[in-house]
Parts: sequence; structure tokens; C-alpha cells
Amino acid sequence: MDAVIRGRAAYVCRSCTQRFQRQLRRSYASAAAKPDIYDVVCVGGGPAGLSLLTALRANPVTSHLRIALVEAQDLAKVKSWKLPPDRFSNRCSSLTPSSALFLDQIGAWRHLERDRVQAYQEMQVWDGVTGARIEFDWAPGSAPAAGTTIAYMNENLNLTSGLLKRLEELGGVAMFDNARVERITYGEETEEMDLREWPVVHLSGGKQLSARLLVGADGANSPVRSFAGINARGWDYNRHGVVATVEMEGEGWGGDHTKIAYQRFLPTGPVAMLPLPGNYSTLVWSTTPRNASLLKSLSAKDFTAMVNAAFRLSPTDLEYMHTQESGQAEEYSWRMEHTPVDYRAVPQTVMGVQEGTVASFPLKLRHADTYIGERVALVGDAAHTIHPLAGQGLNQGQGDVQSLAKTIEYAVNHGQDIGVTMSLEPYVAERYAANHLLLGVCDKLHKLYSVGSGPLVPLRSVGLSAVNALGPLKSFFMNQAAGNGIKVF
Amino acid sequence: MNPLRHDFIQSCLLSFLPQPPTPAEPLRYLDVGCGGGIFAESAARLPTTRSVTAIDPSPTILEVARAHAKRDPSLAGGKLEYVSETIESLALPARPEDRFDVVSVFEVVEHVDYPAAFLDRVGEFVRPGGWLVLSTIARTWTSWVTTNLVAEDLLGVVPKGTHDWYKYLNEDELRGYFAGKGGVATAEG
Repeated sequence: MDAVIRGRAAYVCRSCTQRFQRQLRRSYASAAAKPDIYDVVCVGGGPAGLSLLTALRANPVTSHLRIALVEAQDLAKVKSWKLPPDRFSNRCSSLTPSSALFLDQIGAWRHLERDRVQAYQEMQVWDGVTGARIEFDWAPGSAPAAGTTIAYMNENLNLTSGLLKRLEELGGVAMFDNARVERITYGEETEEMDLREWPVVHLSGGKQLSARLLVGADGANSPVRSFAGINARGWDYNRHGVVATVEMEGEGWGGDHTKIAYQRFLPTGPVAMLPLPGNYSTLVWSTTPRNASLLKSLSAKDFTAMVNAAFRLSPTDLEYMHTQESGQAEEYSWRMEHTPVDYRAVPQTVMGVQEGTVASFPLKLRHADTYIGERVALVGDAAHTIHPLAGQGLNQGQGDVQSLAKTIEYAVNHGQDIGVTMSLEPYVAERYAANHLLLGVCDKLHKLYSVGSGPLVPLRSVGLSAVNALGPLKSFFMNQAAGNGIKVF
Repeated sequence: MNPLRHDFIQSCLLSFLPQPPTPAEPLRYLDVGCGGGIFAESAARLPTTRSVTAIDPSPTILEVARAHAKRDPSLAGGKLEYVSETIESLALPARPEDRFDVVSVFEVVEHVDYPAAFLDRVGEFVRPGGWLVLSTIARTWTSWVTTNLVAEDLLGVVPKGTHDWYKYLNEDELRGYFAGKGGVATAEG
């Protein structure tokens, strides 16, 4: 383990550690326990956890910290992840320019397979019941100086693989992959030190890591959050997100240089078609669990027809087609003969779906009561789970990580113990309200558009159409979407 | 407040150094009236610190400070040393260059009966070219309301009699004192 202690004046310096170990060997010769002390132990090697460790390693102020990563998966496999250019993973996320900038600052962006990342410059959002529409395109002169990119679509594995390559380049992180967290306890008091407030992570195989700061980047069911006794509140939407990688008839109506994201609000939930490189797109269709299981059971031909129908046919037509066990392809061509469609206002026709990419996951809203405890910090999905309708989940996690890394940097620079609540407070102060607002906005949008009829329906359409007509307001919304603010649609 | 002390010390050091201190030339601190060790611990954690000697006349409070320091293994190994001494009883290093780079006196002067004599003694521990950094409570209406009326009389968060408002010093008084010693004083309100 000594190999991973680097730097001149390590926070837990090599000589101290060795001294402790010598002392412990002397005084507790028979006792097996000599604490393996880390400044940061991160549980979870997803985008949030890996970005945090990369940010800490890339910053000269925090690069001397002794860091460990605990991950259940085989990270070597993630790092060497490779797909042919015409195959795409079904788990994609939208990265805002501010997330991309952060990834660039920590030196990770250049490690992504850039030809698999697709920027998009326009959004088309409409109400599936009334047809009211908002077009997010840049009016002449309204585009920000940074460029016209609203966001980048990227495979999650491309991001995690790139982060791992960057971490390998930086070195100095003790990687415990293929490792399960069996339990988390507190340390003990000895003659030399009092670790009764220090979390100790027990790994399968018996390894124990003592953490000055334990970071929970361990997802929605975070064991670290449970250990810290922090509750996460919220509700299930009774909806599933159906994802798939689909092949379109072309590279999009705007060609290669103006890629467009589409989202239609249906009473069962929004369906989104997000551009990938070339003729490919990724689908995220939020719908009822019953509809989701039907969609997953369909043949490729019928599934393709249903996706095309979702952007073109009326909610009533769609409802009927969800009652058919099969034969949606024929039903779709028959119904399309009687449905006028402005074909350039909807995504190009889906020609096929990549085998094995249709999957679904339940949608829920969760927000932890706080993100910090004594020697504990939560980031990403461990802190909050959001409805995917605005594509903000991963970006919220990146925002958390950027803030936590900055908080740790400040603490180190001012001689604070980075694990104590007082040092961590700026992180929760900066992120909690911002995340809460975004969670709330997306939740309300989901609920507003889940209504199929009644007085809300014309009102919400007035909202969308009015926004579309008001140029400056729309630019404001778009800058919010592309920037650090709230993505309102 | 403690992080602000470090910012202030940094600004002092930078006002005479071309670049911030580096771990290659670490600093030696003397913290006078360290109490529970809030500043002493944080100074000892900085990679630019070689050692911190923290003194306080109260053995009870030093026990608290030592117990707290035990919670952070990075403070072990001799970098942080608590000594039960007053500045008057502490042995002065014979050679001027063995004295301290930074001598800190935070929230202490206001408890001292003869501040001029106290500061004279404290100043002897600063190596030539080093820094004496102190903070105290000014004798203003605000300080009377917060430290005497609210803290002692109304809320009782500190024992009554902890603060004697008449002992508080104002900035111009300290400036006058240091000017009389031929020193250069920098202040931040």
C-alpha cells in the first residue's frame, strides 16, 4: 500500500503511517488490527466518484491526499471498454457545456472517445395532447460566446472509461475493484490515536480502510448514506424509463452540423429522441410499467413502429397500440395514412433498433435530508435521484463533485480536517438548494404534463406557445439549459 | 473565523515574500494562549508548516486540546506540541534564528493586565524577519453588546467575568504601541 502514498508532505505522511504501524506492532503484537488510514475513501466508481477522485488528484493542493476507491465492478473492463463505431451503449447521458468544461479542467475530457460524443444545438419540445410547441434554436445574435452547443450526448461508459484513463495517468489512487462493502463501522481508540469517529470500510476479503472522509458515490441505494443515518425522501413515479439505441433514416434534419434533440410530452410521460453520431440516436421513453414491459417484449419491427408512433400519432392511437400484443408495425402504417404529420417537426423515421439495447429502469425522485455527516459526504445519485426529463441527473452529480472538490481544496489550504462537518458545510450550502429546485421543477413538469385532459391542458399549452414567441425569454431559457442553471422545459 | 486567520497570515507573508511559503522551507509557529488548539491544529496540518509549539497556562484545557488532536493521526509525530507554560515562563531560544517564523496571539491580549509588557515578551520569540500575528477585541459599543451583554449576561455562553471590556484594545492603541517599538504593523478589520 505504501506504493500509493505519494507526494512530499502527505497529509498522512509515510513516516507517520510507518511510525504508527511500528508502534502498533510493538504494543499490540498479537492484535491483527492496524488501521490503514486514508484521507478520502470513495465508495462507488461511477461518473460522480471517478470525477471527484480525478479532480482531487489533478489539483496540486489536494494531490497529496491519500485516496482509495472501492468499486464492485471490474474497473479494468470498464477502462478497456470498446464498441465498434456503429454500435452504441443504451445508457447515455446529456452533458451540459459546464460539465464538459469541468471534465476538461480536470484533464478527463480528452480521454473520452470524442467521435462517440455528439453535440446538439437545437431542441424541439412539444405537448403531445395539444401540439403546442417550443423550438429551442439560437436566434441570430443570441448564441453565447462559448458556442451554440446546448449539450453533448455521451455514453456513460465512454465517460467512466475516459475518467479511469485519466486517473491512471495521474496515478496515486488505491483501487479496490471487484470489492463488495460488507459493512461500515467506526474505528477504535488506542494509546496513539482516537479513531472512534472515523468510518472503517470493511471489504469482502477482510481488507479494512479507515477514512478521514468517506464519500458515498454509491448510487440511489447508497450504503454510505445508510451508515451515516441520513434519510432520503421522495416518491416513485410509477413510471419506467425505456431506453434503446436506434438507427434513423439519416443523420437528422439539420445534417451533421446542427443536431436536434426531440421531446414530446405524452400523458404517460415524456418520450425523447437524442442524437448520437451519424444516423444513430438514443431513446428515453418514460411510460407506465405495463407499457414498458410490453415495449420490451415486442419484435424489433414492432418496437420500431411504436417509437415512430410515439412522436407522430395521437395519445389515443398510442393507447390502443399498447393493447396489442404484436402487429404494431402494420397498425402504425395504417394509422399514419390518416394522420397528417409535419415530418420536419419530428425526428427522422427510425429504421431499426440495435439488438440487446432495449431496457428499462424505474423512475423515482429522492432527495437526501443532507449531503454531509461527520466524516461523510454524499455525491450524485446517493444524494439525489431526478426524473430524467431534463437530462440533468449526471450533470447534478458533476456539479456536486466540482463543489465538493472545491470545498476540500479550501479546507486543505486552511489546515482544516477535511472530514469534519464544519469543513464540509460549504458543499451542502452550495448544492442543496440548487439541486432541490431542479428536482422540484422536473417533478412539477412531469406532473403537469401527465394530465391528459381538463383545464390544465390548455393552460400549459399557452405557457409553451408564449415562451416560443418571446425571443429574449427563450434565449434566457436556453442559456439556462446550457449553463449551470435550471433547464426549464 | 479560523480560516480567516490563515488568510491573514498568508497576506502578511506575501507582503514581504516574492512567493508563498513552500513545503521545502516550512515555517515554525508559536501559538500563545492556544486554548483547545483550534488554530494550533490547523497550522500543524498545513504542508508548509514544520512545527507548531502551542502554549497555554491551563493544564486542563491542554488535556482537552491533546485529546482532540488524537482524533487526527496526521497531527501525531511531533509536528504539534502542547506545552503548559506562560510566555513569561517559556524558555527563550538563545540564538535569534532558532526563534519562530510566526508567533500568533489570537484573542489573548484582551485578558492580559499589562498588555505592553506582555507584548514585549511575546515579541522576543519572533525571529528576525518573522511575524507576530495577533487578533483581539476592540473596545467598541458592538463588542460590549456582543461579548459582555449577550455572551455573558443574556445567553451565558461564556462564564461571567470572562471579558473585561475596559481591558479591550483599539487598533490605534496597538498601532501606537508598535510604532513606539519601531515596528511595522498591518491590520485587517
